Amino acid sequence: MEFVSPLRSVKFGLRISGYRIEVLRDLLFELVKKDLKVRYRRSVIGFLWTMLQPLLMMGVMYIVFSEVFRFNISNYPVYALVGILFWNFFSQSVISAMNSLRFNSGIIQKMPVPPWIFPVSSVISGTINLGLSFIPLAIILLLTGHKPTIYLFFLPISIIIITIFTLGVGLILSPLAVFFYDVTELVGVLLILLMYITPTFYPMSIVPPKFFWIVYLNPLRSMLEVFRDPIYLGKIPPTSHLSASIALGILSMLIGVYIFKTQSRKIAFHL
Amino acid sequence: MGIPIVELKRVSLKYRLARQKTPTFKEYMIHWIKGVLVYEDLWALRDVSLELYKGDMIGIVGRNGAGKSTLLKVIAKILNPTSGECIVRGRVSPLLELGIGFDMELSGYENIYLAGLFLGHTKKEIATKIDEIVEFAELEYFINSPVRNYSSGMVARLGFAIATAWRPEILIVDEILSVGDLAFGKKCIERIKEFRSQGTTILLVSHAGNIVEELCNKAVWLEKGIVYAAGDTEEVIEKYYNFIKSITNEECRREAIFARQAL
Repeated sequence: MEFVSPLRSVKFGLRISGYRIEVLRDLLFELVKKDLKVRYRRSVIGFLWTMLQPLLMMGVMYIVFSEVFRFNISNYPVYALVGILFWNFFSQSVISAMNSLRFNSGIIQKMPVPPWIFPVSSVISGTINLGLSFIPLAIILLLTGHKPTIYLFFLPISIIIITIFTLGVGLILSPLAVFFYDVTELVGVLLILLMYITPTFYPMSIVPPKFFWIVYLNPLRSMLEVFRDPIYLGKIPPTSHLSASIALGILSMLIGVYIFKTQSRKIAFHL
Repeated sequence: MGIPIVELKRVSLKYRLARQKTPTFKEYMIHWIKGVLVYEDLWALRDVSLELYKGDMIGIVGRNGAGKSTLLKVIAKILNPTSGECIVRGRVSPLLELGIGFDMELSGYENIYLAGLFLGHTKKEIATKIDEIVEFAELEYFINSPVRNYSSGMVARLGFAIATAWRPEILIVDEILSVGDLAFGKKCIERIKEFRSQGTTILLVSHAGNIVEELCNKAVWLEKGIVYAAGDTEEVIEKYYNFIKSITNEECRREAIFARQAL
């Protein structure tokens, strides 16, 4: 009597359709590789462009904010560039994770693949892109003579925290984008709003006190400070920001995983 | 007969159509607040009970919208039934479309890995089969060029070769045997027959009754999500053909009456 494993009917946590762990690991790896390959395939230009884009953006911010508005902040290029890199990571990862289910609708409708693999791989490739963008950052650090401190070693922890938060947001938004077509546009507008109320390229000192509460309520501010402090200030981020961003990361992941667990069976119906 | 490899117990599946008509968050909230969130239900499968055994080759026939593809998706665990139970005892290889999981920008070689992973195999397992896949797909000269340069026949060949590189316990084939040229179609059918002789259960959907008649030992006729007949191929196909004939006669008559009235 041949033993037939009931592989496909295994239901365990997020392993909805019983893919083996090794297969999911390989699949995740391969999807991230594909993402990066497709992004950089068109040879050197594509790669150079992703390096150049934040630098150009930083140049614009530099001219606008230190020449036109004249606010006083030491080594503004580094301050702005770190903010831009953070923002690019967050917004690009959220947008690509949010759209990932719809882009892969063909596969989700024809294969029993667990849908969460798509937003997860989007955010992981976003994190790798963030890692690659440290090349232009290193150049600017060298050019401006910015001396990194020992606390730069804290940066990987910062990256893990912001990645977890971003992943949670992606997991929350991607099923919503499948169920409602206007979520993508809504989030696009929200991201622009969020960018302006996050001190990515302006210092907190120019914010009028009556608007402090907006900045304090903005969850992304803590994330940004956690990411920026080890590089720009050369210190470990203050406990207030650290605990806030860890809590937000855990919260967003809990909501995201909950939404996925309850909604993922409906995704194939709505695509 | 032993234990059935696929067991469907009173499986029903409903699609909710309301959301597809109001797919924006704004409208949803408006309707929700007004309390007029009414769904129009479409039952794609109603009380379908089936038992499929090892080595069976089952043809599923029925008109468009009868629920054939939905049934396959339930067995492949892509869609969950609204009620009832679907027990599958074995690895399913769903061939609902050829070339699933391909990225047009990547080469054929890279796509073998991608599609193989989606089918549930590790990279190591794929590496041992890669030469075999390329050979079966007859793509030795093109395997390193991007799939966007492939013809649709080449994509279909590669897709079929990957999906059937490992013998599954259950193979699901949805209207795909018509793609590719005749010679390759023959090769596909040969492979399917070979799997069957080794004990694979095969589910085949086709509009063409003759393919089902030729290959399958059992058939299921679905109409509006209900199993109208199931059993020996000849009996089921005969009933199905009679039904089609009666329907077309009915439609001809109705059209004739309509035309006369119009005159």
